[in-house]
Formats: sequence, C-alpha cells, structure tokens
Amino acid sequence: MRQALEGSQAIARAVALCRPNVVSAYPITPQTHIVENIAKLVADGELKCEYVSVESEHSAASVALGAAAAGARAYTASASQGILLMCEVLYDIAGLRIPMVLTCANRAVSAPLSIWNDHQDSMAVRDAGWIQLFCADNQEAVDTTIQAFRIAQDTDLPVMVCVDGFTLTHTLEPIDLPTQQQVDGFLPPFVFARALDPRKPLSVGTLATPEWFTEARHSHHGAVLAATDAIVAADRDWQQVSGRGCGGLLQVDGPADARIGILCMGSVVGTLQDARDAMPELPSARIIRLRSFRPFPAQALREACAGLDQVVVLERALSPGAMGIVGAEVRAALYGVAGAPRVQSVAAGLGGRDMPLTLYAQLIALAQAPATTDFAILDVELDKLPAADRYPEAAVAVSSGDRS
Amino acid sequence: MKQYPRGGIAEPGASLAYHTGSWRVQRPVHVHQAAPCHHACPAGEDAQAYLALVEQGAMQAAWEALVSANPLPAITGRVCPHPCESGCNRGQYDEPVSIHGIERVLGDEAIRNNWAYPVSAPAADAPTVAVIGAGPAGLSCAWHLLRRGLRVVVFESETEPGGICATAIPEYRLPAKVVSAECGRLLALDGIEFQPGQQLGRDVSLHDLKQQYAAVFIGAGAQQARPWNIDGVTPVDLHDGLAVLKEWTRVGQVPPAARVAVIGGGNTAVDLCRVFKRAGASQVMLVTHSGMPGPGVPDAMRALPRELEQAQEEGVEILAHRGVRRLVLRGEKVAGLETVHMKKLPDANGRLRRVAFEGTESLIHVDMVVPATGQDVDGTGFEELLNGQTYLSANAEGATGADRVFAGGDVTGQAGTVAAAVGQGRRAAAAIARALGKTAETPRRSEAVVAFSALNTEYFEAGKRHHGSSLPVAERGIEREVEQGLGLSEARAEAGRCLSCGNCLACDNCYTLCPDTAVLKTRAEAADGSHYVFDYEYCKGCGLCANECPTGYIQMVPEL
Repeated sequence: MRQALEGSQAIARAVALCRPNVVSAYPITPQTHIVENIAKLVADGELKCEYVSVESEHSAASVALGAAAAGARAYTASASQGILLMCEVLYDIAGLRIPMVLTCANRAVSAPLSIWNDHQDSMAVRDAGWIQLFCADNQEAVDTTIQAFRIAQDTDLPVMVCVDGFTLTHTLEPIDLPTQQQVDGFLPPFVFARALDPRKPLSVGTLATPEWFTEARHSHHGAVLAATDAIVAADRDWQQVSGRGCGGLLQVDGPADARIGILCMGSVVGTLQDARDAMPELPSARIIRLRSFRPFPAQALREACAGLDQVVVLERALSPGAMGIVGAEVRAALYGVAGAPRVQSVAAGLGGRDMPLTLYAQLIALAQAPATTDFAILDVELDKLPAADRYPEAAVAVSSGDRS
Repeated sequence: MKQYPRGGIAEPGASLAYHTGSWRVQRPVHVHQAAPCHHACPAGEDAQAYLALVEQGAMQAAWEALVSANPLPAITGRVCPHPCESGCNRGQYDEPVSIHGIERVLGDEAIRNNWAYPVSAPAADAPTVAVIGAGPAGLSCAWHLLRRGLRVVVFESETEPGGICATAIPEYRLPAKVVSAECGRLLALDGIEFQPGQQLGRDVSLHDLKQQYAAVFIGAGAQQARPWNIDGVTPVDLHDGLAVLKEWTRVGQVPPAARVAVIGGGNTAVDLCRVFKRAGASQVMLVTHSGMPGPGVPDAMRALPRELEQAQEEGVEILAHRGVRRLVLRGEKVAGLETVHMKKLPDANGRLRRVAFEGTESLIHVDMVVPATGQDVDGTGFEELLNGQTYLSANAEGATGADRVFAGGDVTGQAGTVAAAVGQGRRAAAAIARALGKTAETPRRSEAVVAFSALNTEYFEAGKRHHGSSLPVAERGIEREVEQGLGLSEARAEAGRCLSCGNCLACDNCYTLCPDTAVLKTRAEAADGSHYVFDYEYCKGCGLCANECPTGYIQMVPEL
C-alpha cells in the first residue's frame, strides 16, 4: 500500500523491517529524522532493538562495529561532518570485514558551513573500503536499505546507502513500504561466522606487520570488487519479492541511438529525465545513473557507454586541484577502449544549490562544444567573486580541442 | 603456509608474538620516594604510612606505625611546629593535611585505650644502657633501645618524666596529665627502669654509669638561664623566661607585674606572654627582631603562627621587627625599654643582615622585662665532656667521641624542638645498638623527595582541611586546653586528604591505561611493594603510566 512518507521516516521504517539488533546514533546535527524515527519505534515498542544514543559519531560507528562484531545486525546513520568524524572507525569496520549498514544523508562538508545537499561527505570516505550505493528517490532508498542488509551479510562488508540530504530525506513521496513478510522472506536472520563469543575468545583488530598488511588489503579490495555480484543478485531477488528493482549497478535510460550520454548519481537523475522530456528540441541524451559507486562497475559502465560519442559526467563533489571524482574514474574506466566517447567532467549543485531543468541544456551544449572541458563547476557565478578569486577560465576549464 | 584470516581475527594472545618492548627507549620503573612530610619530620615519622591506616579506620595499627618512629605522639601532636605540614604537597593544592591533628588523636586514643606499645620484653641478660634525662630525647632513646632488645635505666633529676614538656609548657597548651600518661606508659614498659630524683653529678656520676652500664646516653637538655644584658646593664629583678614558666607550671604563680615585656620570638616567649596575661598583667608585649610569620617573610618568628594568633586574641601585643636598644632603669629596677625598628636587609654581598633604622626609637613603659632568648646547657656531672663549650658536641648519630657515651636533644644544641629531640634519641639508640652488636642496621639512606610537580593532581578532589575547634577567648583560662583537637571521624576524613605522595595507591590507572596491557596486576609478583609489575617484553615506553600515576610512584628511565 502506497503512503505519503517523508524520506527519513520511510528509511526508518525500512530499517525497522530489517529487524536490527542494535542501532546507535549521535542525535544532534548533522543528523536526520531517520534515527529519531527509529528511536520512536523502539520507544513505542514497535521495534525490539537496543538503541544506543552516544556522544559523537565516532562513538556511534564504534558501537555499531562492536555490536556487529558480537553478532548483532547493526545500523547507524549520519551525514557531513558526522561522516568525517566517523572516518577512522569506518576504515576499521571495513578492514575488519564487519557487515553492517549506514545511511549517509548526503550533505556538503564545511567550511564554509553548510547543511545542504551535495556528495562531498561520502566521497571523502570513498577509499574506506565500504560498498557505496546511491539512491535516485525515496522508494529506492527504502528498497536499497533492505537490500543493503543482505549485501552486507553476503559479502562480509559494510554498506553505505547514500541518500541526498533534504532533497530526499526531508521530502514527502508516495512510498510502497514492503510488508514484514516480504522482508523476512528476502532477508535471512543475521548470522556472522566470526561473531565474538566469550566461550571461544578471539582477538579482533590485531596488529598486521608488513608481512601481512598487503595480503589484508588485497583480500579486502577483491571482496569489494566481487561485491558487484551480490549487489546485482540482491536487486534481482528483491524485484521478485517486491516487483521493484533499483537498476543493479547502474541504470541506463534513453534512446538506444543516442550519441550523447549524461552520467550522474543520486536524485538529480529525475531532474534530467524531466528536462529531457520538457525540451524535445534538444538531442535526447542517454542518462546513465551510477547506483554502485563502490564497487565501481567499470565493465557495466563500458557497456552502458557503447555507441556514445560524448559523455558528460555531472557530479556533486570535486577533488579541488584535480577534477571531478566520478569524472576522473569514468575517464579512467573508458581509457583505451576502442570507440570510447569523449568524457567531460562537471560539478554542480554544491552545498544545496538548486539544479534546475535548464541544467540539461547546459550539459547538451557542453557535449556539443568542440573544445573539451576537463573540469568545470557548471553553475558558478563568477561575478559574485572578487576579480582576484575568479581565476582564468583556463585554470578551471581546460580547452584543448577534441581528444577523440 | 600460514594464511591471513578474513578481517584479521586471531586466536587470543596471538599478538604476543610481537615483542613491542624492543621499540622502547625509556622504561617505567616503580620508585618509592619519601613523601615531603616524612622527609621534613625531625622525628622521622612516616606520616603518609600512618595516615593511610587512619583513613582505613585501623587506628591502633596507625598508632603502632607512628610510634615506630616517635613514642610521644600525644605530646608532639600538641607542641610540634609540624614542619611535616609546611612540607605537605597538599599545601600547594589547597591546604596541607592536618598531620599534627591526626598525630594527636592517635596519641590520645592510645592513652585512652591503653594500647600496648608494640615491643617485646628484652632478654634477662640483655645489656643495659643508662639514659640521663627523661625528656623527649631520653625517652625516645630508651624506647628505641628497647625496640632493639636492650634494657634501659632512665635517670631523671625531677620527680616526673617529660623534661621541658612537664616543667615548662603551660597546661592550656599541653595538659600535665597527657605528659604524665604518655611518658608513664612508656616508662612502665618491661625492660625500662625509671629512677626519678637522680641528678647527674650529685646522685650519680658519669664515671660510675660508664662502669655499670653498657653505654650512656646524655639527654640532659638545656635549662640554664643564658646571661642577658643590654650594653652590660641588667635589672636587679631580672627573671629568666624558662624559670618563670617552670614556676607557673609548678605553683601557678608568676612574679607580679602590671606591664611586662617578653624578649624573644619562640614558643617560650609566646607562652610567657600568655601566662602573664592569665596571671593578670594589664599589658603584655612581645618584643622580637623577627617578623610576623607570613608568606615571603624571610625572618619570621619561630613561634607557631596559630599560637601567635591566639596570643593576640588574648590581648598580647606583638612588637615585631623591634630590637631593644636601651634599658631604662629607675634605681636598679627596670622602668622602660627603648626599642628601635630593625629588619634584615641584604648587604653589599647580598647577605641578609639585621639593620636598625635610626630615628625609629620609641620608649615603652614596663615594670618587668623577661628574656626568652634561649637556654644554655648545665654541664654539671659531665664538665669534662662539655669541655667549656656551650653545647655537648655530638655527631648526627649522637656519638660524643667518648667511649660508649652518646648524646641527643637540647644538650647538643642541634634539636630545638621536641620532634628533633625524639629524632636524635632514635638515631643515637640505633648507634648504641650497633656499637653493642645488637643490630646490623645501617643509618637509613635518605630517599629523594616527591615534588608537587611529580603528582598528577587531576586525580584528587579538593577538600577543606579540618582545623579542629579552639576555645573562644572568653572561655580560655589556666587549665582548659585551648586547642580542642580533631574528633575521630574528623581525623579519619582528614587522613583521606593525604595525597600519598610517592607511594602506590593501587588505583589501577597504570593497569587500566596502558595501551599495550604491559602493566600486570599481581601483588604476589610485585616484590617492590606496589600492586603491579611491568611486562618489559611488551612495554613500548610510552610513559602514559608515569604521567597518569597520581602519586609520582612511576618514573621513566632512559634506556639509550
């Protein structure tokens, strides 16, 4: 039954349907209503779970780590500086191969202080070794959260479900919440083979000398790469249970003969699709939405780009002094592939800046421009800056002719 | 081939393969250091040791620990200037622990409960030592000889034991019954024989004592009036301070006077002032070169600040930094004093010298002047040993140079306080026992003292000192003790304020905070008296334990 739910509330209900044993959270900014709603469910007796309110995100992640290591299905949520404060523990969780789920309500990272949406927070921890899945809408956030618990236990890896802060978490959407029966049928009880047991003591987090560290990293890297199978399988199985899929690793939408591709992550996909429908005079682009950023689905991406001349990567974060983070990875994935499209990288919608329908036209114009833009912040308004801080255009947008 | 398990889990103890101790460049060690109270105590009391027992409520054990150094705590708890408290590190935190207050409670409790002194009777054929004088030095020497298995005969010229404590300290400060009880209990011990009314040089001779006894200890004190004059002028009716106090203590009288000037800055001078006040003098002035005690006063009076305060409360006028320039006589009797302001100032070489300020002379009308500027030794019976010197010469162990003759207390000019006399008696007893082959002990090597900066005060809570109450001025009289002392529960709470400088508290900080679990908690293995041992196989030498040790008991020692 579809019901109008705020994104945070819908995610909270989805978490509750997964029967977590331990939820830990730091309840203050930057936090969302997700954990507030879970706390309410626990307080109201609707969810039987150990809810631990802690004094920092570092502790929230640490509690979840410990709980999962002891065999509990564990969950936490955070955003922005909270994710950064968790960073150390996020590396631990992944390196110790602890299965758990975290919702990152994507927000900008200060300074300057911002509470609004972009993807810089989850990008800051992209190398922690977590699975990172980006959601297009709140229905998908619900479905991905449920899938995430299964992916985690199938891979012995933690899963970060990335949901656009405010744009999704604070907006109402008609949601089809699955039934408990559906979720129970899809998600088996949590069993962790390495769960700590006082009757059979184990040591977790021991020192790895140079003799062993490389092997640890190798196996961890391999596990994240191999997680593509579990992600695809979970999405397929959930589709059978619920009738809804989320696109597996990535979602391709648009005409088969399109020459221009636009690649994005998160909720902006809806804006781009609406703009394409609203502007039939413009070329109809193939819109590729990356759902799985980690593991990075290079092979699926190459297939999705087949036949394209141009790909513009639109993202909501950047690596200052380099370029777009996703843009660089897409370019690397297509490097040396015969007939690969030209890849241009842009950022927009930073710190909650609105991404209007006209963005689509800008992206098409960029794709059609003869000069290649290595990277640009598309919606920057230079006249708001003192002249000395505008920088020559060449410094932000390298125009060096057609690379293909 | 050994394989890396998923997530790096390991069997317990697997990390023991990494002997991280090899990374270390400095090692933590337990170092027992003297608490400053212990270091400062002339009697050698380890206050911190007995405070710990008091805190636990083990009062008798605390008293036993206390008397292992000082057998007269009820007396010293009342009259000692307590340098232990001046040294107490807690003084730099809030207020020093009231060590003297606790000492007094323990002494009084021992008398009240008749606790047995922790000593066994000496063998019937044990050598016997003669002790001259039943004052603090003699009694302490007797006690410590007994503890070392020797027999003692104590000769005392007075009829009662206690020395100056019995004859010249007023009742309101040190009740006679406390002195007689404490000294009496000590002298009644099996192995000590007390012979009162025996004056050296009159009733017994040093020569005979040396013949009859294995060794002789001279603790005859310094009780002879020191000649006093101003430019050769002495009033005909001059009364010596100590003699006045003795008279007061014995018969409750002082020479009649309405306006009295007492010269001196020690406790005897203050006692005299208060006694004259009690005897009805209308104006009593204390005239002293020294300054009133206070922070940064380099030449403060030796008298206890609290006694001075109480004297002022009782109406005694203190003329500090004042010297007597001239005596004004009417006939041969004193009619006044000309005083001048004086102060210690640095001279050209930076040394402090007392300087009189010309033009600051003033005249005080008095009808009696009483000097209390110290006493000399009455060498009757040991003139040969004294050899014309002011004091009987003795080294730190009390050896006089004469065969088997030792000395301690005021007679040596090295004591000045009851506690110092007790300390000298103890050290001389050890030296005598050694000379007689009764002990192999060597003089204790003095330990380093724990500085306040070595403590981690984050682990201590602020807490007000228990001062104990004193009688309101209106209720003070001739007999009632002015200082009421601490109650049992107050003493216990006060003992809880001790910071335990330099000792293991068994607080578990090192054990809990060691990041390498290289601090093992085992009293059985901790032979150094702590509760922990360091596992140097794994200790990286980070120093956390030393930093977090509240008491400075752990020190880092460089290994490179």
